[in-house]
Amino acid sequence: MSRQPHSIDELQDIVSRLPSTRNEDWKYTDLASARDISSRWLAAGRESLSLALQDEVEAVTHAIDANWIVIANGELQHPIDVNGASRLDDAPSSDTVLAELNAALLKDGLRLRIEDALDKPIGILMIDGTEDASVSQAYVEIEFAPGASGEIIEYHASKGDADQYANTIVSVALGDAASARHLRVQNRAAHHVQTGHTSVSVGRDANYTMSGFDLGGGLIRNDVIIDIAAAGAEVSFDGLYLAGEGQHIDNHTRVDHRVGPARSRQEYRGILNGHCRCVWNGKAIVHEGADGTDADQANHNLLLSEKAEIDAKPELEIYADDVKCSHGTTVGQLDETSLFYLRSRGLDKRHATQVLTHAFASDLVARMPVDAAKEALATVVEHRLAELLDSDPDTFS
Amino acid sequence: MLEISNLHCSIGDSEILRGLSLSVNAGEVHAIMGPNGSGKSTLAQVIAGHQDYEVTAGAVTYEGKDLLDLEPEERAREGIFLGFQYPVEIPGVNNAYLLKTAVNAKRKHQGLGEVDAFEFLKLAREKMAALGMDPKFLNRGVNEGFSGGEKKRNEILQMAMLEPKLAILDETDSGLDIDALKAVAEGVNSLRNPDRAIVLVTHYQRLLDYVKPDFVHVLSEGQIVRSGDKSLALELEDKGYDWVREAASA
Repeated sequence: MSRQPHSIDELQDIVSRLPSTRNEDWKYTDLASARDISSRWLAAGRESLSLALQDEVEAVTHAIDANWIVIANGELQHPIDVNGASRLDDAPSSDTVLAELNAALLKDGLRLRIEDALDKPIGILMIDGTEDASVSQAYVEIEFAPGASGEIIEYHASKGDADQYANTIVSVALGDAASARHLRVQNRAAHHVQTGHTSVSVGRDANYTMSGFDLGGGLIRNDVIIDIAAAGAEVSFDGLYLAGEGQHIDNHTRVDHRVGPARSRQEYRGILNGHCRCVWNGKAIVHEGADGTDADQANHNLLLSEKAEIDAKPELEIYADDVKCSHGTTVGQLDETSLFYLRSRGLDKRHATQVLTHAFASDLVARMPVDAAKEALATVVEHRLAELLDSDPDTFS
Repeated sequence: MLEISNLHCSIGDSEILRGLSLSVNAGEVHAIMGPNGSGKSTLAQVIAGHQDYEVTAGAVTYEGKDLLDLEPEERAREGIFLGFQYPVEIPGVNNAYLLKTAVNAKRKHQGLGEVDAFEFLKLAREKMAALGMDPKFLNRGVNEGFSGGEKKRNEILQMAMLEPKLAILDETDSGLDIDALKAVAEGVNSLRNPDRAIVLVTHYQRLLDYVKPDFVHVLSEGQIVRSGDKSLALELEDKGYDWVREAASA
């Protein structure tokens, strides 16, 4: 091991330096609870008994036909029966405090190397559940060799009443002409905290398609960082976030177009009900010389309650001449005319609302990149939407 | 079946209906005509329960019940159908899904079980064929990308599947070419029966060439100013609405 074990003071110091709301990138998302959970867990000796997670693991791995790798409370579950998968000792320490925390506390990293065309999706289930407050780290490195292709499912889940903070880092590298389809599902328990970082580097003529679904969690922050440093790349990603009473979901995305021609598009949609807050910050940077860039970003939000709050911010920085960039952000309520139309056909207000919110999300569910997971995900989304409508008692009063 | 007496109704600060009375019995077809802004569409929307219109005076009873007490969905389940002047496009909601959900909502209210999916599709396809609709419309989003004529046919399809007791068709004839007009008229005529009442709200009498009304009412400034049989529609066509306005104010 190259890494020196950290003393408790060093670890407490890292925790104390987790981003605060004084940092512009973290203006709307307060990690006080993550700091508090981490600090208590460190003081208590970093031990907490695992809950039985077998049922929860099977609920996911049986519903979606994939080759699954399970990381429970930060520990790889053996045997790892997937070609090209191996354990990593270390995560590279990088310039952010979250990466530093990840590297300092990581138990097991995971490396996936995909050499050719996968015939079945690879699923990585990161699940946490402990009796007392706990903190877990996951670090996953996925590398697609030149010309390789395949589908990856990244599934985050958690269980239990105890406080939990998960800090996950997923890094995807696509070789030239590689093609990756990536589904990310975050369905944590209602009060749990997660910071999730996804970074993607895209090779020449490579194709990357991703969909993220944020269905659960108490305080969730996702960062998706995409780096296009070779010509001919095609990047497409979607995000759906469903936030109910008490939830906070923050999606920050950043796409760096360093060379052209290349295309990126993103569409995030949110449905919010009750007292909750969501953030979408989509940044696209077209660097000098990246001519022939085509970048499109969209964010649409449906607010079902006056208590719901969305902070939506598209950011375009363009330093090249020959580019096509667009962005659009909308925030709205349910369309009253559509609602009346459905009610005049005999659907009660709740049912009509459910139909319309479902329709709002339907494009993203339909476009979901991993066919094997489509049915299971559609069911989870449907169920979550129904819960969401009932999470604010005022919505149908 | 439907009794409207001295109905006053406003949207915001402006009063649209100003003491309207109308009685519709089972088996009858009524045409409500009138110039733009006379309150025709408001009347249709108020009967269906649109929340933007405030009833300030008067009463509406439907089969002996106080209609104004019922939510829009309750009215629908009790057998009232409004064919919209501007049917709403709802992308992401499958047309077949809406039809089936609407039929089942009504059946549930009647204490019946859900429709058999196979029988339902068969029936829907038959009705679509009669209306000259391509069955592929079943799998499209509700009215999504439909032409004006397709939207109106889709309204008639919904009506045919829901088999309402009281159908109110708001300007269903507007914007239709002659083929679509005939198809829609045939759809309406096929639903005529002794247990059902149909109210046609229309600006022009040309629909009435194909669907012969038992009664024609002329609405002006929120009141029915003249009622008669189908010859009144022809007279209106001939003399124009000014004639009615002058007659009303005289």
